[in-house]
Parts: sequence; structure tokens; C-alpha cells
Amino acid sequence: MTVPLLEIRKLHKAFGKVVTANGIDLTLEKGVLTSIIGPNGAGKSTLINMLSGSLPVDSGEILFEGKDITQLPIHKRVRLGLCRSFQVVNVFPDLTVFDNIQIPVLAVRKRGTRLFRPVSGEKETHKEVYEVLERVGLENVAHTPAKVLSHGDQRLLEVGIALAVRPRLLFLDEPTAGMNPVERVKVLENIKRLSAEGRTTFVIVEHDMDIVFSLSDRVVVLHHGDIIADGTSDEIQDSKQVREVYLGEEVME
Amino acid sequence: MQRSWTWVLIAAVLVGLLAIGLFSGRFVVYLSMRVMILAIFALGYNLLLGRTGLLSFGHAAFYAGGAYGLGLFSIHVSQNPLLGILVGVILACVLAVIVGFFCVRHTEIYFAMLTLAFGMMVFSLIWNMREITGGDDGLVGIMRAPISLGFAGIPLNKTEYYYFFVLFWFVLSVGVIYLIRNSPFGLILSGLRENDRRVEFAGLSVKNYRLAAFVISGTFAGLAGSLGALLESNTDPFSAHWSHSAEPILVSLIGGIQTFAGPLVGSVIFIVLREIIERFTQNWMLWFGIILLVIIMGLRGGVVGGMTQLFQRVRSVSKSGGNP
Amino acid sequence: MLESIVHVCLAGLSTGMFIWLVASGLTLIFGVLGVLNFAHGSFYMLGAYFCYTVLSVMGDNFWLGLILGPLCVCVVGFIVERFFLRYVYHLDLPYQLLLTFAFVLLFDDLVKVVWGAGSISSPMVPGLSGSIPIMGRNFPVYNLFIIAVGPLVALGMWAMLEKTWWGRIIRAASSDREMASAIGVRVSALFTAVFVFGTWLGAVGGGLAVPYVGLLTPGMGETVIINAFVVAVIGGLGSLKGAFLGALIIGLLSSFGTRYLPTFDMFLTFILMAAVLLWRPQGFFGEAA
Repeated sequence: MTVPLLEIRKLHKAFGKVVTANGIDLTLEKGVLTSIIGPNGAGKSTLINMLSGSLPVDSGEILFEGKDITQLPIHKRVRLGLCRSFQVVNVFPDLTVFDNIQIPVLAVRKRGTRLFRPVSGEKETHKEVYEVLERVGLENVAHTPAKVLSHGDQRLLEVGIALAVRPRLLFLDEPTAGMNPVERVKVLENIKRLSAEGRTTFVIVEHDMDIVFSLSDRVVVLHHGDIIADGTSDEIQDSKQVREVYLGEEVME
Repeated sequence: MQRSWTWVLIAAVLVGLLAIGLFSGRFVVYLSMRVMILAIFALGYNLLLGRTGLLSFGHAAFYAGGAYGLGLFSIHVSQNPLLGILVGVILACVLAVIVGFFCVRHTEIYFAMLTLAFGMMVFSLIWNMREITGGDDGLVGIMRAPISLGFAGIPLNKTEYYYFFVLFWFVLSVGVIYLIRNSPFGLILSGLRENDRRVEFAGLSVKNYRLAAFVISGTFAGLAGSLGALLESNTDPFSAHWSHSAEPILVSLIGGIQTFAGPLVGSVIFIVLREIIERFTQNWMLWFGIILLVIIMGLRGGVVGGMTQLFQRVRSVSKSGGNP
Repeated sequence: MLESIVHVCLAGLSTGMFIWLVASGLTLIFGVLGVLNFAHGSFYMLGAYFCYTVLSVMGDNFWLGLILGPLCVCVVGFIVERFFLRYVYHLDLPYQLLLTFAFVLLFDDLVKVVWGAGSISSPMVPGLSGSIPIMGRNFPVYNLFIIAVGPLVALGMWAMLEKTWWGRIIRAASSDREMASAIGVRVSALFTAVFVFGTWLGAVGGGLAVPYVGLLTPGMGETVIINAFVVAVIGGLGSLKGAFLGALIIGLLSSFGTRYLPTFDMFLTFILMAAVLLWRPQGFFGEAA
């Protein structure tokens, strides 16, 4: 009987009268690439924010690998293996791509408190940084400042920073937002490949249905703070209830 | 190619500083000490401002902590300068931990205002507790006793000898701050300046790193204060006033906030320029106001930043000149 | 015993109202432009000096000085905003603060150049001079005048912000710059106008200070600006209501402190400032951060 990767029990959050999470129960298993979808205002961002720690919960519990993390601050959750990437590119703009990745790698290797050794001497760290850069395909632009990168590359960097902390569970918040089709394919293939590697379980919040159904093993549908559907891509695509919810918001194939 | 030039420059500066101590007249020696002490204050401070991106108006309080810590120790307990500096630095460090604990939870304007409030609390205590701190007169008569090495003593009472003592601490500080700046810790501080939220999501406690930067810069401020008190043989309550906190900010800005050598260069410029201006007019503040305006409006890289850009441009022009 | 307390209260009220006059401009500028203007103390000082100059040149008419003096300072304020401050709004906070600080240095010395570095004694206003007995002890008439002026200014500002078209635009621009610009408000011109108005308030405070402090010195801005800062913070940065209340509190605290706990009165002011920043950073009336 293995402990599930993430278990959410009766998670509740309201902003005044608007309920963004209505006593949600959800269990995530290791290795299952899950997508969370729902029309605007369904509560997807709120959920990610609560799970990653930027938003406090009103009531309920979050258990990560059996451990109660409901009250833990953000950086402690990351250390336990739970991380997220951001919808709006959230990198270190004036630092090079290399340094953008080096910061989280130093953190996860617990080298951040070294004060008197030059960072240029951190050979092991640098090896790991290059590994991450290769995994997201950015090794060629390692020494470019992040703000100079194309939007697509910046999004890859975004994911790269999140991967660098060696997360076991990674929430990707609209990883392809604002990308052109070519960039989109590149990102998706990367996610598919990384997911297959088995080190990290991915949970993606997305609007683009093509991505959702081509990529996911499991799809969870949120609406006004409730989970209204939960199943495989095929099951969700066939669900009449989901289609009703989306009618007028998006057309589903 | 560039690295060997840097070493040459460092060697030249060291030789120059040694030469000043050996051959110059008393006034130049005195001025150089003031530059070095200000540089220690500013270099430490710039770890917080330039690297971490936090603007503190309270660091003058830590400078004063170093000065008054040493002063009180020297007057009431022992005149041993090394112990006095230790006491001053520890007092500054403890103050910085306490103040920092309250301040680093906040950012930007609230951080600036909080540090100002705490700094002025220290100032008001120093100002009002006359029996202990001498009030607006400060502590007077701080002697520079010789450092005893068991078999002999190094006299410090002569300005020329004290110079080498200050030089020692200066070189040590520059070395330590350089190491810190280029360490993994230093890189994380840059991350804090660029995007503190992301640092949190890298698994690091932003508050702790900010506090560490705050305390380190406060400790160097205390060292500068202690050395300053020994230099002037007295303490000045206005060294804790928020307007004194503006000095390392000004100096770093003039030299270049984002560079390592900026505060150093800025200290030289600030003190030398002020001496020159004061020869001609009482109104040095007017000229510094103008210089500051010019820098903020146009030359935000400061002197070092501007020169680096100049070198790069010269180099790229000569490179492209060579290629058809 | 009772008249002691009453007098301390009155002194506190006049100090408080005086601080309010200075802090009102600072708060307005911060609320709308988002800039903490260190040079506000300098505008106060320039207001005092200009007012004094008008007074001495144009035959001892204080009220004329109070009108013309601050207008001259407005010109200075206009130059500062239009040609300098406007270009640093998009920069980090340190640069904005340092720009205003540069002007503090500049104005401090300029004043010394024009009016001399020494202190100038300023005359009392005829008609408001002397003191009247309150509960057996004398209290300066001019201080009572200040106590009356303070709330009048507050009322005037409230009326302007709530009731006039101008006020509505200012409130809109301060809460949402982009939106205001989208509906056609020329935000940059508005900022200049608000800055000049805030400068005017500070300068009027300086003008009113001429008989109050009795002595003009080049450093007079520094002491005042700190109190104005504290008041602006504890009232809630950007909230005029809060600044008014904060000024009353600080004035009374300072007065009682001077009377009963003289060693610690400055300390108490700053502890209050720190306490508010730590536990209620929005002050008493500001919006939640």
C-alpha cells in the first residue's frame, strides 16, 4: 500500500462570497501525467497557489507523500519535492541562463550557504546545471542574459528553473501560454520526454485542449471550485457534463 | 587577458597605499584613512544595496554601534584596540541581527522606512542618554593604546602607524567582501534582487538570506565605526543619524552600484572631491547635490560602470576595425 | 494640575496641527505619485525664507508674504517635477529617493548662499502676537491660530478631493494610473499639478512657521521632515485622513513626552513609527497593502 504522491482533503478557500475551492478532495499518483482544466474562474490558479504555498487555505489538509504540508512555507515545500512553474515568465532577467539554473541547483545541493568559496569553483554544481539545460534544450544559450531570450526559450527556462530543484511533483501553470505553434510542439515534446523519464510527476494547468488530450494520462475538470469530472482523456472528451460546462467558453473536439 | 590586468591594478593600488603610508605627509595619510574607513562601510553596505537590492536607512546605527561600543569599552574597561574593535563589531552585529529580524520581512518602501525608524531610535538613545554616551558631545578621549604582542608592542598613537593598522583591516575587508560577493551565497543575493519570489520557489528562505546580507553589511559598518572612533579619538552622535546612512548610498552610486569596485572608487572621489570643493567654497553639499543629480539622470552605472562601458566600446570598435 | 494637562494638550495640538500642515503635502504627493519626497522639508524651508523675504521687502505684511512666498516655491517645485522627477518614475526606489535627497543637499546650500548660513530671527505677526490666559496660564495666540488653521486646511482638502471634479480625477489617478490614462486623463500633467500643489502646501507650512518658530535656519527642514515622515507612515502612506490623525497623535505624544519623559520623547516617536510599520503597515486609514 503505497502512500499517494499528493492527497488533498476538503480543501476550502473563499474570497468573500466567491468560493474558489469548495471542499475539494483529490489524490495524485506518482507517474501519472495529469491535467487540470476548467473555464476561467474555475479555481485552477487558486488551487495551484494553495498547493505550492503562496496562498493560505481556509480549511482542509494537503498531504505530500503522507506528510502534512498545509501550514508549511513555500521554500520548505520545495525542499520536500513539490514545486511549480509560473504562467507569466518569472525568471532572473539580468542573470545568464546558466545562473538562472545555477541558483536552484545550488539550493538543492545545499551549497547556498557557502560564503567564502568562489561560485566558479563549484564543479559538481556546474555539471548538474548543464544536465538541466540539456534536458530542456537550452544548452546553446547558457551564457545569454535571460531577458534577451525569445519568449519560447524563456518559457523553457521557466520550466528549467522548476526542474532544477529536483521536484517529485511539478505543477506547470499554462506552460505554453503565448507561444507560437512551433514553440508549443517543442515544449510539449520536452514535457512528454521528461515525464517518461519518471523522476518527476507533472500536473499541468492548461487551456489548450489539444495539448491536454494528447499529453495527459488523466484529466481533472474544475468548475466554480468543484471537481466535476475526473478520468482519462477519452472519458473526459466523451463527457456530456464537461461539454455543457464549456459550451460558450470553448469548442471541444 | 583581462584578468592579468586586474592583478596589475590591484598590485599598483597596494603599492600606492603602502607608499602613502611610508612617504606622505600627515594630512594625506589622514585623508587616506578616512577613505579606507568609508570604503569599508560602503563596500559592506553595497552587498545589501547593489547585490541584494535592499535600501536601508538604518546602517548608520550600526556604524555608531561600532564606534560607541569601542569607545565605551576603551574608556571603561581596557584600551586594547583589538579587543575594542571586537567589542564594537560584536555590538554592531547584535544590533543588526535585532533590527534585521524585524525589517527583513518587508520590502521596498516599508523596509526603507522601518530601517529609518530603528536607526533613529538608536540615534535618539545616543543623543538623550548623556551620562552614558556623552549626548551631543559624544565620547571623547579615546586613546589608541599599543597592541602588545607579548615581547613587544606596536604603538598606534602616531597617525602614521595607525595608518597601517587601518590598511590591514581595509585589505582584509576588501578580500572578504570580494569572496562573499562571488560565492554561491553572493549569487543567491543577486537572485533576491532580481526576483525574490523565484528564490523562494528554489527552496531557499528569502528572509534568512536577506537577514544574513543585512547582518554582514551591518557588521562591516560596525568595523568602520570602530576604526573611525579610534582615528578621531572621539565619537559623534550624528554618525547614527539617517543622513549619515545616505553616505554609503551616495558613494556606491557615484562609483557604480552594480560593480564590486564602485564603492571603493566612490569613496575616493567623495572624500577627495569634498576636500577640493571645501578649499573654494563652504557649499560642498551644493556640488554633491549637482553630481548626484547628474548621475541619477544620466550616468546610473556610476564611474566604474561608465568606464567599463567605455572600455567595451573601445574594444569592440578596435575589433570591428580589424575585421573587414 | 489640570491646567498643566490642558496646556500640554494645547501645546500638543498646535505642534500636531503644524506637523499636519507639512505632512499634508507629503502625503498627497505619495498617495498620487507614489514618491516619498525627501525634499519636502526643503520646500517647507524655502516657503519660510521666501515668505520672510517678501515680508521684509514689501513692508512687513505677513499675509502678503504668506501668499507670494509659497507661489515662488511652486515654481521651484514645478522645475523639480517637470525636468527631473518625471524621468525617474520608472526607476527603482533607491534612485527616486536619492533624487529627492540630491535636491535636499542643493536647497540646503542654496539657502545658505542666498540668505546666509546664520539664523535669521523672524518677527511675530501683529494681531496674532502675545498670549491669552487659559485656565490661569498664558498661551500664545499664534498657537491658537495654528490650531484653528489645521482643521481648516484638512476640511478644505477633503472638500476638494470629494466634491470637485479635480479631486475626482486625482483620486482616480492615484488608485489606477493606467485606467485614468485610458480614459483620457493626461497623467503626466496631473502628476506635475499634484506635485506643485503638494509643494505649495509644504511652503505654506513654512510660511506659517515664520512667526511660530521665531528663527529661520538653513537646517529647519530636516527636523520637520522626519516628523512629517513619521506622521505620514502612521497615518497610512497616502491617506490624508490618517495623516491628520497621525499628526494629532504625534503632536500630543511629543508634547506629553517633552513634559513628563523628556529623555525618551524622540525615541517614543520612532518606536510608534516602527510599531505601526510592523503591525499595521497600512496605518490607521490606509488601504491594506
